[in-house]
Amino acid sequence: MSLKLENVSVVYGEGTPFRKVALDNINIEFPKGKITGIIGHTGSGKSTLAQLLNGLNKPTSGKIYLDGEDIWVNPKEISKVRFKVGLAFQYPEYQLFEETVGKDIAFGPKNMKLSENEIALRVTEAARMCGIPDDSLDRSPFELSGGQKRRVAIAGVMAMKPKYLVLDEPAAGLDPVGKTDILNGIINYKNETDGTVLLISHSMEDVAKYSDYILVLKEGKVFAQGTVEEIFSNISALADSSLDLPQITRLFHELKKRGLIERDDVYTVKFGEKLLKEKGIGNA
Amino acid sequence: MLKDITLGQFFPGRSLLHRTDARIKIILLAVFLVFVLCAKSAAAFTFVAVCTAVLVIISAIPLKTIIKSLKPLMFVLIFTAVINLFFANGEDILLQWKFIKIYREGIENAIKMVVRLTCLVTGTSVLLTYTTSPLDLTDGIERLLTPLKHIGVPVHDFAMMMSIALRFIPTLIEETDKIISAQKARGADFESGNLFSRAKALIPILVPLFVSAYRRAFELAEAMECRCYRSGVGKTRMKVIKTRPADYIFLGISVVCCVGIFFLNQVVIPF
Amino acid sequence: MAFIQTEKLTYNYEGNLVPAVKEVSLSFEKGSYTAIIGHNGSGKSTLAKLLCGIFTPTGGKVFIDGMDSSDEEKQENIREKCGMVFQNPDNQIVSSVVEEDVAFAPENLGVEPKEIRKRVDDALAAVGMTEYAHHSAYKLSGGQKQRVAIAGILAMNPDCIVFDEATAMLDPAGRREISAAMNELNKRGITVITVTHHMNEAAMADRIVVMNKGEVAMDGTPREVFARVDELRSLSLAVPQVTELLYDLGLPEALHASEAADIIQKEIEKKCH
Repeated sequence: MSLKLENVSVVYGEGTPFRKVALDNINIEFPKGKITGIIGHTGSGKSTLAQLLNGLNKPTSGKIYLDGEDIWVNPKEISKVRFKVGLAFQYPEYQLFEETVGKDIAFGPKNMKLSENEIALRVTEAARMCGIPDDSLDRSPFELSGGQKRRVAIAGVMAMKPKYLVLDEPAAGLDPVGKTDILNGIINYKNETDGTVLLISHSMEDVAKYSDYILVLKEGKVFAQGTVEEIFSNISALADSSLDLPQITRLFHELKKRGLIERDDVYTVKFGEKLLKEKGIGNA
Repeated sequence: MLKDITLGQFFPGRSLLHRTDARIKIILLAVFLVFVLCAKSAAAFTFVAVCTAVLVIISAIPLKTIIKSLKPLMFVLIFTAVINLFFANGEDILLQWKFIKIYREGIENAIKMVVRLTCLVTGTSVLLTYTTSPLDLTDGIERLLTPLKHIGVPVHDFAMMMSIALRFIPTLIEETDKIISAQKARGADFESGNLFSRAKALIPILVPLFVSAYRRAFELAEAMECRCYRSGVGKTRMKVIKTRPADYIFLGISVVCCVGIFFLNQVVIPF
Repeated sequence: MAFIQTEKLTYNYEGNLVPAVKEVSLSFEKGSYTAIIGHNGSGKSTLAKLLCGIFTPTGGKVFIDGMDSSDEEKQENIREKCGMVFQNPDNQIVSSVVEEDVAFAPENLGVEPKEIRKRVDDALAAVGMTEYAHHSAYKLSGGQKQRVAIAGILAMNPDCIVFDEATAMLDPAGRREISAAMNELNKRGITVITVTHHMNEAAMADRIVVMNKGEVAMDGTPREVFARVDELRSLSLAVPQVTELLYDLGLPEALHASEAADIIQKEIEKKCH
């Protein structure tokens, strides 16, 4: 039971001068029940990958296996794949349309043709996970602040209870509070439903903080993949990939270069603190 | 996909058509449209097609782009062709199979309609939208309509509105594409059901699109105000438009072409 | 009088009980570089719009280069002096072609065609977009679009540019482009005021104003402001990671990784002796 890509390539504009390889022979298996962070520059193929996983986009070649089954075996059944692999787009608040928050969250479950009771249950559950207060459910989504709208939109995807939840830049453009709210909602979802989460982001800092595994894409290819520790144990490679390293990582990279410290696989302030305290630095 | 729609998009370039005064191009387009719609005989249609081809060539817009822009029209083209093919009556039966009768006139009409539509769309894009930057276009319209200012028509505002609409077409198309994908990801079904449920299925697309267009309009207005926009009062232009002799020659040639159509309509060439 | 000066500046959105900006008195010197931070709803964006005269105060005053922003007749002069770059790159580009968009403001102002040409060329060069002059704006990257927006403001020859979360919708590369452009503008003597929630960007300014509930909560150099880690945390604002680390270790404050490395190096060497 997993989500797996086998030799997947996506080519846009085949046979035209605008031919562009968005993904080039990708092989990945996303670990179940974990959060995998997917990072890369704009144009690295992150968003293409997201749309591949739930069948909004078809691979030019290669296969995508969902729980062992090729998702494109029966193209007519692709909407079922979309219920299993939920996708929240970038700036998902721009897709809200219902009169009330509750109705908007219910849109997905309704399309799944669930019973009224089940829909109501899922709406309250998703709203709770995303930290949307009960009394907001009857309000218009258009009255809410940007951060709240974002949470409603993401709750709308969570209410479908997908086994796999793919989020494209869920925290983009939010202030620190809004960001924490959203990311905590995602962790709640993972813990409560035992779901698998794919978190697409530009921010190495967020990915390092919230993920178990990391996949680094570069120019449509897998540049690196592994646990967060594995990825960060090879800092020099990451530094070369010209991704934005967390500031704390850059600090320890510099300290190691100066021969002051042995490890540079540091990606949280807490761990950095611990290392330095072990060295007897600071007032412990 | 919606992304293939290139309508209203401007392709910067330095071709003769790009450099022609926008006013001349607008007049030309009007003349061209009359001339396409008036064509009747096979000779006239051949001439229309040749003229369109010439326009495409001098615009230096790649043929691929033109073909791409016709793609969304494909359905309409095929539909008209089929209607004309099967439902036209005439004298010359070419093919008969059960109740289907195909007349020579039917084929002729089908070809004419396809040529007419293709030329209309290609001509409009090549003459105006592809080769005229929206600002030039607005300016052209504004100058052509200047006489109306005296009777109180807000010509400048109208022209500005048009140019902004053109500027936002690609943005809104992209946005629509995104909203459709997002709602599909939530299991929205746009393909099945009767007409009523299909129309209802559009709500999740139209509401967000409208909200977003409104938000964009509001933000753009603020940004324009910030850049001292005051509806054409005391406005100057970076590029001073001068109508060059070449423009008049161009206009002359096209008027001659147009007149030619009326004569060609009289010429009967066996098909 | 400073270049921009506010006196008990207050702004109340229609129908709201609590003002978004409450009796704020600040001054911004010519050529200064200020970052305004605060969480959503702290009034930072409203303040920014008041500072460049887009909003007219409902109470108190804003003087921009000595001109009162409530004075209708001065409005256009103020807009010319003080421009604003907004958050969404798509919604502030008026024309499809880069150079025509940049020419929009001077055309509105009735500048001579030759002078417009010069201003447009200079503005595009200043943001490094000269080679894109004839490109269609729609196809540029987010960072490039924002640079065009900056050029569009520069073409008015303003003394001040206010950035209202201009990097919020950009990727890291785009953010770097715009930060670099802000720095460059400031070096040319333009007063820069940027509203942001990226602390690393705020750290690049000469001064940080922290807003909370419509009021100024802190005002000082980045060093002074980021030294108050506990207060910032209580306002639910983040601090740069290295600042947080050194603060928790009880070491002197630092804003950048290299600076922090120096401090830690000193500490380690002290230990060895």
